[in-house]
Amino acid sequence: MALRTEELMLNMGPQHPSTHGVLRLVVTLDGENIVEVLPDIGYLHSSVEKMMEYRTYLQNVALTDRGMDYLTAMANEEGYLLAVERLGGIAVPPRARWLRTIMLEFQRLSSHLVWLGTWGIDLGATTVFLYCFRERERILDLFEQVTGGRLHHVYFRPGGVYEDLPAGWTDRALAFCDEFPGRLQEYHDLLTGNPIFLARVQGVGVLPRQSAIDMGACGPVARASGINFDVRKVFPYEAYGEIDFDVPVYEAGDCFSRYMVRMDEMRQSVRIIRMAIERLPAGEIRSKVQVNVKLPRGEVYSRSESPRGDLGVYLVSDGKDMPYRVKIRAPSFANLFALTEMMRGWKVADVIAILGSVDIVLSDVDR
Amino acid sequence: MADIATRAWDAVAGLATGLGVTIKAMVDRKNTVKYPIEKVNVSPRWHGLLALPVDPTIGNDLCIICFQCERVCPSRCIHIEATGRAKDRVLTRFDIEMDKCQYCGLCVEVCPTEAIVFIPHYEASTFNRGNLLYDLDDLHRAAPKEPIAHGVVGVKRR
Repeated sequence: MALRTEELMLNMGPQHPSTHGVLRLVVTLDGENIVEVLPDIGYLHSSVEKMMEYRTYLQNVALTDRGMDYLTAMANEEGYLLAVERLGGIAVPPRARWLRTIMLEFQRLSSHLVWLGTWGIDLGATTVFLYCFRERERILDLFEQVTGGRLHHVYFRPGGVYEDLPAGWTDRALAFCDEFPGRLQEYHDLLTGNPIFLARVQGVGVLPRQSAIDMGACGPVARASGINFDVRKVFPYEAYGEIDFDVPVYEAGDCFSRYMVRMDEMRQSVRIIRMAIERLPAGEIRSKVQVNVKLPRGEVYSRSESPRGDLGVYLVSDGKDMPYRVKIRAPSFANLFALTEMMRGWKVADVIAILGSVDIVLSDVDR
Repeated sequence: MADIATRAWDAVAGLATGLGVTIKAMVDRKNTVKYPIEKVNVSPRWHGLLALPVDPTIGNDLCIICFQCERVCPSRCIHIEATGRAKDRVLTRFDIEMDKCQYCGLCVEVCPTEAIVFIPHYEASTFNRGNLLYDLDDLHRAAPKEPIAHGVVGVKRR
């Protein structure tokens, strides 16, 4: 006699401790196997796109910090300002472009460190979290000395950056760059050699290359599935066109590849920072742009590589000093829905490992 | 059999490497401060509380009542009122709702006389939301309304 079974619907969230924010996952289970996962979003909707229509272009810089991805404030400013500067034809002085590059790479480091630490906690490796936040604190201190803020910087301006580097900052940044590869090796020692960690991530949550393309996955998630696409290389912005760096690509598409891509990216970020500080040109940091800058009528789409992936900003101007419409193509949103492909067929215990490996920020998903 | 032995050795070696890192961190220098007792130094550019410091040479703040900070504020948390004309113009109200403020620093940036500045205070927490409305006197004093960090954890006042 066959055992009668039926599917079980399990709600994870929105207050689940491992969902990195308020995300609800509706998991359909057959025994312990996942049949289907449906992410239910909207719990952190801040309507930042609508709010941007009632604020001037300068004020919106302060809004992108908080309303979008709160872990990568300057990457959001960059995505938004690329659109503004392209539409308005605002020139950015060379020194400002290089300063932005340095800051963006530090932002990538700090974001990846948060991801690594919290993912470690998800998988039961609490120690990594403490070490990651130790290094992240050093980066936030460096940010604080330049921008005055630790998370919400409001440092980039239309046509440049707000302030120049304080005296001695580059030495402190280079000292950090010298120290960081050793720290990265410590993370590798803690995790990459750990058999418990490997058993939970290696071969788990595979996203095949074609599925990654179909679901619109971007950033480290796509690069872990063998797609060699990095906006910094393909459509260079700021100083990335003049800097030599490698884009790590892994073929397997499992959680371990996504981990390795980010670990290698951190090494590349250090390399970019070092090179950018070495070649930092002197001169102006901000071109003359009036406070209430008016952009000509028109529309523009800009894309940049935020730590989470391809951040697109579509901006429509009707000639006033406020945008008519801003649409943000958030990288977390695209990667979140690739989750349905990754999780199918795995056990319920793998949900947290796979979800953590995607690195989503819910305020970026909902905007 | 040999396979199991290799795997077991790899597992032990992997765990031992990780343990070595934690032991190294244990004897390494300390990375934390006992916060309410020890304070953290902030950088000179720190986006802390806002203030209109009194200039000792003229005995008043440097505000020229141009309303630029009120206009540029994305959170609309600055409220300014003034009376009189031309040279006799005086501030009657300069309120900042610090609970709305997002510390973006645009008001500091646009101020033509550097009247409104950031001060390196970061302990603005209070038990009463009404305390977060900073009026002209508070802003002249350039200090948090209620220094609270000692009280929260019951540390002895020094």
